Amino acid sequence: MSYLELNLDLTDEQLMLRDNIRKFALEVMRPTAMKLDQMTPEEVIAPDSIFWDCMKQAYKLGLHKILIPEEYGGLGLSPIEVHMVVEEMGYGSSDIAIALGVSCFPAFLASMVPTDELINNIIVPYCEDTEAKIMGCWAITEPDHGSDSLAPGTAQFKDPNIYGQCRARLEGDEWVINGQKAAWVSMGTAATHAMVYLTIDPSMGFAGGGICLVPLDLPGVSRGKPLNKLGQRALNQGEIYFDNVRVPYEYMLVDQESYEAILDITLATANAYVAAVFTGVARSAYEEALNYARQRVQGGKPLVEHQHVRYKLFHMFKTVEACRALSRAAMVYNLSTSPPATEYSIASKVFCTDAAFQVAHEAIQIFGGNGLAKEYAIEKIFRDARAGMIEDGSNDSLALFASERLI
Amino acid sequence: MIFESTAKMYDVLGELFNELMKDQPLYQKFIDSDITIRFNISDPDGYIWLTRDGKVICGEADYKPTIEMTLSGDTCHKFWLQEIKMPVALAKGLIKAKGPLPKVLNLLPLIKPAYVIYPDIAKKHGIL
Repeated sequence: MSYLELNLDLTDEQLMLRDNIRKFALEVMRPTAMKLDQMTPEEVIAPDSIFWDCMKQAYKLGLHKILIPEEYGGLGLSPIEVHMVVEEMGYGSSDIAIALGVSCFPAFLASMVPTDELINNIIVPYCEDTEAKIMGCWAITEPDHGSDSLAPGTAQFKDPNIYGQCRARLEGDEWVINGQKAAWVSMGTAATHAMVYLTIDPSMGFAGGGICLVPLDLPGVSRGKPLNKLGQRALNQGEIYFDNVRVPYEYMLVDQESYEAILDITLATANAYVAAVFTGVARSAYEEALNYARQRVQGGKPLVEHQHVRYKLFHMFKTVEACRALSRAAMVYNLSTSPPATEYSIASKVFCTDAAFQVAHEAIQIFGGNGLAKEYAIEKIFRDARAGMIEDGSNDSLALFASERLI
Repeated sequence: MIFESTAKMYDVLGELFNELMKDQPLYQKFIDSDITIRFNISDPDGYIWLTRDGKVICGEADYKPTIEMTLSGDTCHKFWLQEIKMPVALAKGLIKAKGPLPKVLNLLPLIKPAYVIYPDIAKKHGIL
Protein backbone atom coordinates (compact mmCIF):
# COMPACT_ATOMS: atom_id res chain seq x y z
CA MET A 1 0.00 0.00 0.00
CA SER A 2 1.06 3.55 -0.51
CA TYR A 3 0.47 6.63 1.59
CA LEU A 4 -0.60 10.13 0.65
CA GLU A 5 2.59 12.02 -0.12
CA LEU A 6 2.23 15.36 1.64
CA ASN A 7 5.33 16.87 0.06
CA LEU A 8 4.07 18.44 -3.15
CA ASP A 9 7.57 19.38 -4.29
CA LEU A 10 8.71 15.82 -5.02
CA THR A 11 9.33 15.01 -8.67
CA ASP A 12 7.88 12.11 -10.63
CA GLU A 13 11.37 10.55 -10.67
CA GLN A 14 11.58 10.70 -6.89
CA LEU A 15 8.17 9.08 -6.51
CA MET A 16 9.16 6.42 -9.02
CA LEU A 17 12.33 5.73 -7.04
CA ARG A 18 10.24 5.28 -3.89
CA ASP A 19 7.79 2.97 -5.65
CA ASN A 20 10.56 0.80 -7.13
CA ILE A 21 12.18 0.34 -3.72
CA ARG A 22 8.79 -0.44 -2.18
CA LYS A 23 8.28 -3.18 -4.74
CA PHE A 24 11.68 -4.66 -3.86
CA ALA A 25 10.93 -4.31 -0.16
CA LEU A 26 7.64 -6.17 -0.42
CA GLU A 27 8.57 -8.76 -3.00
CA VAL A 28 12.11 -9.59 -1.90
CA MET A 29 13.13 -8.12 1.46
CA ARG A 30 10.10 -9.05 3.55
CA PRO A 31 9.64 -12.64 2.33
CA THR A 32 13.38 -13.24 2.67
CA ALA A 33 13.45 -11.85 6.20
CA MET A 34 10.40 -13.93 7.18
CA LYS A 35 12.22 -17.09 6.10
CA LEU A 36 15.50 -16.07 7.72
CA ASP A 37 13.63 -15.35 10.94
CA GLN A 38 12.95 -19.09 11.29
CA MET A 39 16.59 -20.08 10.81
CA THR A 40 19.45 -20.37 13.26
CA PRO A 41 21.91 -17.42 13.31
CA GLU A 42 24.49 -19.68 11.66
CA GLU A 43 22.10 -20.66 8.88
CA VAL A 44 21.27 -16.99 8.22
CA ILE A 45 24.80 -16.26 7.01
CA ALA A 46 25.71 -19.67 5.60
CA PRO A 47 27.17 -19.41 2.07
CA ASP A 48 24.03 -20.84 0.48
CA SER A 49 21.64 -18.72 2.57
CA ILE A 50 18.89 -16.72 0.87
CA PHE A 51 20.29 -13.76 2.82
CA TRP A 52 23.04 -13.45 0.23
CA ASP A 53 20.59 -13.71 -2.69
CA CYS A 54 18.66 -10.81 -1.20
CA MET A 55 21.82 -8.78 -0.59
CA LYS A 56 23.01 -9.37 -4.15
CA GLN A 57 19.73 -8.03 -5.49
CA ALA A 58 19.95 -5.05 -3.15
CA TYR A 59 23.53 -4.35 -4.26
CA LYS A 60 22.49 -4.54 -7.91
CA LEU A 61 19.90 -1.86 -7.16
CA GLY A 62 22.62 0.21 -5.47
CA LEU A 63 20.95 0.16 -2.05
CA HIS A 64 24.34 -0.32 -0.35
CA LYS A 65 25.68 2.98 -1.69
CA ILE A 66 22.87 5.48 -1.29
CA LEU A 67 25.08 7.74 0.88
CA ILE A 68 28.24 7.50 -1.26
CA PRO A 69 28.94 10.42 -3.64
CA GLU A 70 28.41 9.89 -7.35
CA GLU A 71 32.05 10.81 -7.89
CA TYR A 72 33.04 7.31 -6.78
CA GLY A 73 30.08 5.44 -8.28
CA GLY A 74 27.67 5.92 -5.39
CA LEU A 75 24.06 6.89 -5.90
CA GLY A 76 24.58 10.26 -4.24
CA LEU A 77 20.91 10.55 -3.36
CA SER A 78 19.64 13.81 -1.93
CA PRO A 79 18.77 13.75 1.78
CA ILE A 80 15.03 13.48 1.18
CA GLU A 81 15.57 10.68 -1.33
CA VAL A 82 17.71 8.85 1.22
CA HIS A 83 14.83 9.08 3.67
CA MET A 84 12.27 7.85 1.17
CA VAL A 85 14.42 4.87 0.20
CA VAL A 86 15.30 3.94 3.78
CA GLU A 87 11.68 4.14 4.93
CA GLU A 88 10.72 1.72 2.16
CA MET A 89 13.53 -0.65 3.13
CA GLY A 90 12.37 -0.55 6.75
CA TYR A 91 8.83 -1.18 5.52
CA GLY A 92 10.11 -4.36 3.89
CA SER A 93 12.34 -5.57 6.72
CA SER A 94 14.17 -3.62 9.42
CA ASP A 95 16.85 -6.28 9.79
CA ILE A 96 17.93 -6.26 6.15
CA ALA A 97 17.59 -2.46 5.98
CA ILE A 98 20.03 -2.18 8.89
CA ALA A 99 22.42 -4.71 7.34
CA LEU A 100 22.55 -2.49 4.24
CA GLY A 101 22.98 0.62 6.36
CA VAL A 102 25.99 -0.64 8.30
CA SER A 103 27.49 -2.13 5.17
CA CYS A 104 28.31 1.32 3.82
CA PHE A 105 30.04 2.56 6.99
CA PRO A 106 33.69 2.01 5.89
CA ALA A 107 33.21 3.45 2.40
CA PHE A 108 31.04 6.32 3.63
CA LEU A 109 33.53 7.40 6.31
CA ALA A 110 36.37 6.99 3.81
CA SER A 111 34.55 9.31 1.40
CA MET A 112 34.81 12.03 4.06
CA VAL A 113 38.62 11.84 3.97
CA PRO A 114 39.30 10.54 0.46
CA THR A 115 42.94 9.69 -0.22
CA ASP A 116 43.95 7.90 -3.43
CA GLU A 117 44.55 4.73 -1.42
CA LEU A 118 41.08 4.84 0.12
CA ILE A 119 39.38 5.77 -3.15
CA ASN A 120 41.07 3.01 -5.15
CA ASN A 121 41.06 0.22 -2.56
CA ILE A 122 37.96 0.87 -0.50
CA ILE A 123 35.39 3.27 -1.93
CA VAL A 124 35.37 2.44 -5.64
CA PRO A 125 35.49 -1.38 -5.23
CA TYR A 126 32.61 -1.12 -2.77
CA CYS A 127 30.54 0.96 -5.17
CA GLU A 128 31.30 -1.38 -8.07
CA ASP A 129 30.30 -4.47 -6.08
CA THR A 130 27.07 -6.02 -7.35
CA GLU A 131 27.56 -9.40 -5.69
CA ALA A 132 27.58 -8.33 -2.03
CA LYS A 133 31.16 -9.52 -1.70
CA ILE A 134 32.22 -6.41 0.22
CA MET A 135 30.23 -5.68 3.36
CA GLY A 136 31.04 -3.27 6.13
CA CYS A 137 30.07 -3.04 9.76
CA TRP A 138 30.10 -0.42 12.53
CA ALA A 139 32.25 -1.84 15.34
CA ILE A 140 31.76 0.43 18.33
CA THR A 141 29.92 -1.54 21.01
CA GLU A 142 32.10 -3.42 23.54
CA PRO A 143 31.43 -5.98 26.28
CA ASP A 144 31.59 -3.28 28.98
CA HIS A 145 30.46 -0.32 26.89
CA GLY A 146 27.24 0.05 24.94
CA SER A 147 25.17 3.20 24.88
CA ASP A 148 27.70 5.04 27.06
CA SER A 149 30.07 5.16 24.11
CA LEU A 150 27.47 7.22 22.20
CA ALA A 151 27.53 10.32 24.37
CA PRO A 152 29.66 12.92 22.58
CA GLY A 153 29.25 16.37 24.04
CA THR A 154 28.57 15.17 27.60
CA ALA A 155 30.89 15.57 30.59
CA GLN A 156 31.18 11.81 31.08
CA PHE A 157 32.54 11.43 27.55
CA LYS A 158 35.73 13.17 28.70
CA ASP A 159 35.99 11.36 32.05
CA PRO A 160 39.49 9.76 32.05
CA ASN A 161 38.15 6.93 34.19
CA ILE A 162 35.79 5.72 31.46
CA TYR A 163 37.18 4.63 28.10
CA GLY A 164 36.85 1.86 25.58
CA GLN A 165 38.74 -1.42 25.92
CA CYS A 166 39.60 -1.85 22.25
CA ARG A 167 42.90 0.05 21.92
CA ALA A 168 45.19 1.23 19.13
CA ARG A 169 48.83 2.23 19.45
CA LEU A 170 51.09 3.64 16.76
CA GLU A 171 54.18 1.58 15.87
CA GLY A 172 56.17 3.09 13.01
CA ASP A 173 53.79 3.57 10.12
CA GLU A 174 51.21 1.10 11.38
CA TRP A 175 48.50 1.07 13.99
CA VAL A 176 48.37 -2.00 16.20
CA ILE A 177 44.92 -2.90 17.48
CA ASN A 178 44.05 -5.09 20.45
CA GLY A 179 40.75 -5.79 22.14
CA GLN A 180 37.23 -6.96 21.55
CA LYS A 181 34.01 -5.62 20.14
CA ALA A 182 30.77 -6.98 21.61
CA ALA A 183 28.24 -9.42 20.26
CA TRP A 184 26.03 -6.53 19.16
CA VAL A 185 28.14 -5.49 16.17
CA SER A 186 25.68 -5.64 13.28
CA MET A 187 27.12 -7.84 10.50
CA GLY A 188 30.02 -8.45 12.91
CA THR A 189 30.62 -12.07 11.95
CA ALA A 190 29.86 -11.67 8.24
CA ALA A 191 31.36 -8.32 7.19
CA THR A 192 34.58 -8.02 5.17
CA HIS A 193 35.52 -4.59 6.54
CA ALA A 194 34.90 -2.82 9.84
CA MET A 195 34.81 0.79 10.84
CA VAL A 196 36.30 0.31 14.28
CA TYR A 197 35.75 3.01 16.90
CA LEU A 198 38.55 2.48 19.40
CA THR A 199 40.68 4.14 22.06
CA ILE A 200 43.95 5.90 21.23
CA ASP A 201 44.47 8.08 24.31
CA PRO A 202 42.63 6.75 27.39
CA SER A 203 43.62 9.81 29.45
CA MET A 204 40.97 11.71 27.45
CA GLY A 205 38.25 9.18 28.26
CA PHE A 206 36.02 8.25 25.35
CA ALA A 207 37.03 11.52 23.68
CA GLY A 208 40.50 10.04 23.15
CA GLY A 209 39.16 7.73 20.48
CA GLY A 210 39.91 7.07 16.87
CA ILE A 211 38.09 5.60 13.89
CA CYS A 212 40.02 2.97 11.98
CA LEU A 213 39.07 1.17 8.80
CA VAL A 214 40.04 -2.47 9.27
CA PRO A 215 39.89 -5.10 6.52
CA LEU A 216 38.69 -8.13 8.46
CA ASP A 217 40.92 -10.59 6.63
CA LEU A 218 44.03 -9.19 8.34
CA PRO A 219 46.08 -11.52 10.58
CA GLY A 220 44.91 -11.33 14.19
CA VAL A 221 41.21 -10.76 13.46
CA SER A 222 38.79 -13.41 14.64
CA ARG A 223 35.02 -13.55 15.06
CA GLY A 224 32.60 -14.82 17.65
CA LYS A 225 29.51 -16.91 17.21
CA PRO A 226 26.52 -15.27 15.50
CA LEU A 227 24.14 -14.01 18.17
CA ASN A 228 20.80 -15.72 18.74
CA LYS A 229 18.22 -13.08 19.60
CA LEU A 230 14.56 -12.15 19.93
CA GLY A 231 14.13 -9.71 17.05
CA GLN A 232 15.78 -8.69 13.79
CA ARG A 233 16.97 -12.25 13.42
CA ALA A 234 17.85 -11.74 9.76
CA LEU A 235 20.47 -9.22 10.89
CA ASN A 236 23.71 -10.98 11.73
CA GLN A 237 25.37 -9.77 14.94
CA GLY A 238 28.46 -10.99 16.74
CA GLU A 239 31.84 -10.27 18.30
CA ILE A 240 35.05 -9.25 16.57
CA TYR A 241 38.40 -9.85 18.30
CA PHE A 242 41.63 -8.02 17.51
CA ASP A 243 44.93 -9.60 18.52
CA ASN A 244 47.87 -7.38 17.47
CA VAL A 245 46.16 -6.50 14.22
CA ARG A 246 48.42 -4.22 12.16
CA VAL A 247 46.71 -1.61 10.02
CA PRO A 248 48.34 0.94 7.64
CA TYR A 249 48.72 4.40 9.18
CA GLU A 250 46.30 6.13 6.83
CA TYR A 251 43.48 3.72 7.65
CA MET A 252 43.06 5.57 10.94
CA LEU A 253 40.62 8.00 9.33
CA VAL A 254 40.00 10.03 12.47
CA ASP A 255 42.21 10.43 15.52
CA GLN A 256 41.60 11.87 18.97
CA GLU A 257 41.82 15.44 17.69
CA SER A 258 38.41 15.17 16.04
CA TYR A 259 36.98 11.87 17.32
CA GLU A 260 34.24 13.43 19.44
CA ALA A 261 32.93 15.59 16.60
CA ILE A 262 33.03 12.84 14.00
CA LEU A 263 31.27 10.48 16.41
CA ASP A 264 28.63 13.20 16.75
CA ILE A 265 28.21 13.25 12.96
CA THR A 266 28.11 9.43 12.95
CA LEU A 267 25.43 9.40 15.63
CA ALA A 268 23.39 12.08 13.85
CA THR A 269 23.51 10.08 10.61
CA ALA A 270 22.93 6.64 12.15
CA ASN A 271 20.05 7.74 14.38
CA ALA A 272 18.40 9.53 11.46
CA TYR A 273 18.76 6.34 9.40
CA VAL A 274 17.24 4.18 12.15
CA ALA A 275 14.36 6.65 12.55
CA ALA A 276 13.56 6.33 8.84
CA VAL A 277 13.77 2.52 9.06
CA PHE A 278 11.30 2.44 11.96
CA THR A 279 8.96 4.86 10.25
CA GLY A 280 8.73 2.06 7.68
CA VAL A 281 8.32 -0.54 10.44
CA ALA A 282 5.48 1.45 12.03
CA ARG A 283 3.82 1.79 8.64
CA SER A 284 4.11 -1.93 7.96
CA ALA A 285 2.48 -2.73 11.33
CA TYR A 286 -0.33 -0.26 10.67
CA GLU A 287 -0.98 -1.63 7.19
CA GLU A 288 -0.92 -5.23 8.37
CA ALA A 289 -3.52 -4.34 10.99
CA LEU A 290 -5.66 -2.35 8.55
CA ASN A 291 -5.68 -5.13 5.95
CA TYR A 292 -6.46 -7.76 8.55
CA ALA A 293 -9.25 -5.67 10.07
CA ARG A 294 -10.87 -5.26 6.66
CA GLN A 295 -11.10 -9.03 6.23
CA ARG A 296 -11.51 -10.49 9.69
CA VAL A 297 -15.14 -10.86 10.72
CA GLN A 298 -16.13 -10.82 14.39
CA GLY A 299 -19.58 -10.24 15.83
CA GLY A 300 -21.06 -10.58 12.35
CA LYS A 301 -19.12 -7.77 10.68
CA PRO A 302 -15.53 -6.94 9.66
CA LEU A 303 -13.32 -5.58 12.43
CA VAL A 304 -13.08 -2.21 10.67
CA GLU A 305 -16.80 -1.73 11.26
CA HIS A 306 -16.27 -1.91 14.99
CA GLN A 307 -15.88 1.60 16.33
CA HIS A 308 -13.12 0.78 18.80
CA VAL A 309 -10.98 -0.88 16.12
CA ARG A 310 -11.40 2.15 13.84
CA TYR A 311 -10.39 4.39 16.72
CA LYS A 312 -7.21 2.33 17.21
CA LEU A 313 -6.46 2.36 13.48
CA PHE A 314 -6.78 6.13 13.32
CA HIS A 315 -4.27 6.61 16.13
CA MET A 316 -1.88 4.17 14.45
CA PHE A 317 -2.21 6.10 11.18
CA LYS A 318 -1.61 9.40 12.99
CA THR A 319 1.49 8.01 14.67
CA VAL A 320 2.98 6.78 11.38
CA GLU A 321 2.47 10.21 9.80
CA ALA A 322 4.13 11.89 12.80
CA CYS A 323 7.08 9.49 12.48
CA ARG A 324 7.55 10.41 8.84
CA ALA A 325 7.26 14.13 9.46
CA LEU A 326 9.85 14.18 12.25
CA SER A 327 12.29 11.65 10.82
CA ARG A 328 12.28 13.25 7.37
CA ALA A 329 12.83 16.72 8.76
CA ALA A 330 15.65 15.57 11.04
CA MET A 331 17.37 13.59 8.30
CA VAL A 332 17.09 16.32 5.68
CA TYR A 333 18.48 18.91 8.11
CA ASN A 334 21.31 16.78 9.44
CA LEU A 335 22.40 15.44 6.04
CA SER A 336 22.54 19.06 4.88
CA THR A 337 24.30 20.72 7.81
CA SER A 338 27.69 20.28 9.45
CA PRO A 339 28.00 20.23 12.38
CA PRO A 340 24.59 18.55 12.73
CA ALA A 341 21.85 19.21 15.28
CA THR A 342 22.24 15.71 16.69
CA GLU A 343 19.46 16.13 19.26
CA TYR A 344 16.98 16.13 16.37
CA SER A 345 18.30 12.83 14.99
CA ILE A 346 18.14 11.37 18.50
CA ALA A 347 14.62 12.72 18.98
CA SER A 348 13.52 11.13 15.73
CA LYS A 349 15.20 7.79 16.57
CA VAL A 350 13.66 7.62 20.04
CA PHE A 351 10.25 8.77 18.81
CA CYS A 352 10.07 6.48 15.78
CA THR A 353 11.31 3.33 17.50
CA ASP A 354 8.98 3.88 20.48
CA ALA A 355 6.15 4.58 18.06
CA ALA A 356 6.88 1.53 15.90
CA PHE A 357 6.71 -0.69 18.97
CA GLN A 358 3.46 0.94 20.10
CA VAL A 359 1.87 0.60 16.65
CA ALA A 360 3.03 -3.04 16.40
CA HIS A 361 1.62 -3.68 19.88
CA GLU A 362 -1.77 -2.27 18.86
CA ALA A 363 -1.64 -4.26 15.65
CA ILE A 364 -1.11 -7.51 17.57
CA GLN A 365 -4.15 -6.63 19.68
CA ILE A 366 -6.25 -6.17 16.54
CA PHE A 367 -5.00 -9.48 15.17
CA GLY A 368 -5.93 -11.19 18.42
CA GLY A 369 -4.60 -14.74 18.70
CA ASN A 370 -3.43 -14.71 15.09
CA GLY A 371 -1.04 -11.91 15.98
CA LEU A 372 0.92 -14.37 18.09
CA ALA A 373 1.27 -16.87 15.25
CA LYS A 374 4.43 -17.02 13.18
CA GLU A 375 2.51 -17.34 9.93
CA TYR A 376 1.60 -13.65 10.15
CA ALA A 377 4.22 -10.98 9.49
CA ILE A 378 3.01 -8.85 12.40
CA GLU A 379 4.49 -11.33 14.90
CA LYS A 380 7.97 -10.70 13.48
CA ILE A 381 7.41 -6.98 13.04
CA PHE A 382 6.52 -6.73 16.74
CA ARG A 383 9.75 -8.47 17.82
CA ASP A 384 11.80 -6.40 15.36
CA ALA A 385 10.28 -3.20 16.70
CA ARG A 386 11.26 -4.10 20.24
CA ALA A 387 14.90 -4.41 19.21
CA GLY A 388 14.80 -0.94 17.70
CA MET A 389 14.35 0.64 21.13
CA ILE A 390 17.77 -0.67 22.16
CA GLU A 391 19.95 -0.72 19.04
CA ASP A 392 21.98 2.31 18.00
CA GLY A 393 21.88 3.49 21.60
CA SER A 394 19.13 2.57 24.05
CA ASN A 395 16.32 5.09 23.94
CA ASP A 396 16.67 5.87 27.64
CA SER A 397 20.38 6.72 27.38
CA LEU A 398 20.00 8.63 24.12
CA ALA A 399 17.25 10.77 25.62
CA LEU A 400 19.45 11.63 28.59
CA PHE A 401 22.43 12.49 26.37
CA ALA A 402 20.30 14.64 24.07
CA SER A 403 18.67 16.40 27.01
CA GLU A 404 22.06 17.91 27.88
CA ARG A 405 21.91 19.79 24.59
CA LEU A 406 18.61 21.39 25.53
CA ILE A 407 19.57 23.02 28.80
CA MET B 1 44.50 37.88 10.36
CA ILE B 2 46.39 36.45 7.38
CA PHE B 3 44.44 38.54 4.86
CA GLU B 4 44.88 42.18 5.82
CA SER B 5 41.77 43.27 3.92
CA THR B 6 38.82 41.89 1.99
CA ALA B 7 40.44 43.14 -1.23
CA LYS B 8 43.61 41.16 -0.46
CA MET B 9 41.58 38.04 0.28
CA TYR B 10 39.70 38.41 -2.98
CA ASP B 11 43.03 38.79 -4.83
CA VAL B 12 44.47 35.60 -3.35
CA LEU B 13 41.44 33.31 -3.22
CA GLY B 14 40.02 34.74 -6.45
CA GLU B 15 43.26 33.81 -8.20
CA LEU B 16 43.19 30.34 -6.64
CA PHE B 17 39.67 29.57 -7.87
CA ASN B 18 40.21 31.16 -11.30
CA GLU B 19 43.33 29.03 -11.77
CA LEU B 20 41.40 25.92 -10.75
CA MET B 21 38.67 26.66 -13.27
CA LYS B 22 41.34 26.76 -16.01
CA ASP B 23 42.00 23.08 -15.32
CA GLN B 24 39.74 21.56 -17.99
CA PRO B 25 38.96 18.17 -16.34
CA LEU B 26 38.30 19.86 -13.00
CA TYR B 27 36.20 22.57 -14.66
CA GLN B 28 34.14 19.91 -16.41
CA LYS B 29 33.63 17.96 -13.17
CA PHE B 30 32.47 21.12 -11.48
CA ILE B 31 30.05 21.96 -14.29
CA ASP B 32 28.73 18.38 -14.21
CA SER B 33 28.12 18.63 -10.48
CA ASP B 34 25.60 21.41 -11.21
CA ILE B 35 26.10 23.28 -7.96
CA THR B 36 26.68 26.83 -6.82
CA ILE B 37 28.91 27.26 -3.78
CA ARG B 38 29.06 30.35 -1.61
CA PHE B 39 31.93 30.79 0.82
CA ASN B 40 30.82 33.05 3.65
CA ILE B 41 34.12 34.35 4.97
CA SER B 42 34.81 36.31 8.14
CA ASP B 43 37.95 38.21 9.27
CA PRO B 44 38.02 39.83 6.78
CA ASP B 45 34.38 39.65 5.79
CA GLY B 46 33.51 38.69 2.25
CA TYR B 47 31.85 36.22 -0.09
CA ILE B 48 33.28 34.09 -2.85
CA TRP B 49 31.00 32.31 -5.28
CA LEU B 50 31.63 29.40 -7.59
CA THR B 51 28.57 29.34 -9.80
CA ARG B 52 27.09 26.34 -11.57
CA ASP B 53 28.26 27.77 -14.91
CA GLY B 54 31.87 27.90 -13.70
CA LYS B 55 32.18 31.59 -12.84
CA VAL B 56 34.24 32.80 -9.88
CA ILE B 57 32.70 35.87 -8.25
CA CYS B 58 34.22 37.74 -5.32
CA GLY B 59 31.66 39.78 -3.38
CA GLU B 60 27.88 39.93 -3.22
CA ALA B 61 25.98 38.23 -6.03
CA ASP B 62 22.42 37.23 -6.73
CA TYR B 63 22.58 33.45 -6.97
CA LYS B 64 20.96 30.72 -4.91
CA PRO B 65 23.73 28.62 -3.35
CA THR B 66 23.47 24.83 -3.33
CA ILE B 67 26.23 24.64 -0.73
CA GLU B 68 27.39 27.25 1.76
CA MET B 69 30.71 26.99 3.56
CA THR B 70 31.13 29.39 6.47
CA LEU B 71 34.67 29.93 7.72
CA SER B 72 37.28 32.56 8.56
CA GLY B 73 39.97 33.87 6.24
CA ASP B 74 42.64 32.27 8.44
CA THR B 75 40.90 28.88 8.23
CA CYS B 76 40.75 29.23 4.43
CA HIS B 77 44.49 29.86 4.31
CA LYS B 78 45.35 26.97 6.64
CA PHE B 79 42.96 24.64 4.84
CA TRP B 80 44.52 25.20 1.41
CA LEU B 81 47.99 24.80 2.94
CA GLN B 82 46.79 21.45 4.36
CA GLU B 83 47.59 22.66 7.85
CA ILE B 84 44.07 21.75 8.88
CA LYS B 85 42.01 18.75 7.80
CA MET B 86 38.32 18.87 6.98
CA PRO B 87 37.25 16.58 9.88
CA VAL B 88 39.26 18.65 12.33
CA ALA B 89 37.88 21.89 10.92
CA LEU B 90 34.35 20.52 11.27
CA ALA B 91 35.17 19.14 14.71
CA LYS B 92 36.33 22.48 15.98
CA GLY B 93 33.52 24.34 14.29
CA LEU B 94 36.05 26.17 12.12
CA ILE B 95 34.08 25.25 9.00
CA LYS B 96 30.31 25.04 8.91
CA ALA B 97 28.77 23.41 5.85
CA LYS B 98 25.22 23.70 4.63
CA GLY B 99 24.03 21.70 1.65
CA PRO B 100 23.26 18.11 0.67
CA LEU B 101 25.99 15.90 2.13
CA PRO B 102 26.66 13.84 -1.03
CA LYS B 103 27.22 17.05 -2.99
CA VAL B 104 29.60 18.35 -0.31
CA LEU B 105 31.50 15.04 -0.33
CA ASN B 106 31.58 15.10 -4.13
CA LEU B 107 33.65 18.26 -3.90
CA LEU B 108 36.46 16.77 -1.85
CA PRO B 109 38.34 15.16 -4.78
CA LEU B 110 38.13 18.48 -6.62
CA ILE B 111 40.07 20.15 -3.82
CA LYS B 112 43.32 18.27 -4.48
CA PRO B 113 44.66 20.48 -7.31
CA ALA B 114 44.12 23.50 -5.07
CA TYR B 115 46.51 22.03 -2.52
CA VAL B 116 49.15 21.93 -5.23
CA ILE B 117 48.83 25.49 -6.51
CA TYR B 118 47.89 27.41 -3.37
CA PRO B 119 51.37 27.61 -1.75
CA ASP B 120 52.76 29.34 -4.86
CA ILE B 121 49.85 31.76 -4.99
CA ALA B 122 50.24 32.52 -1.28
CA LYS B 123 53.98 33.13 -1.74
CA LYS B 124 53.35 35.39 -4.72
CA HIS B 125 51.05 37.52 -2.59
CA GLY B 126 53.50 37.63 0.31
CA ILE B 127 51.46 35.68 2.84
CA LEU B 128 53.67 32.60 2.99
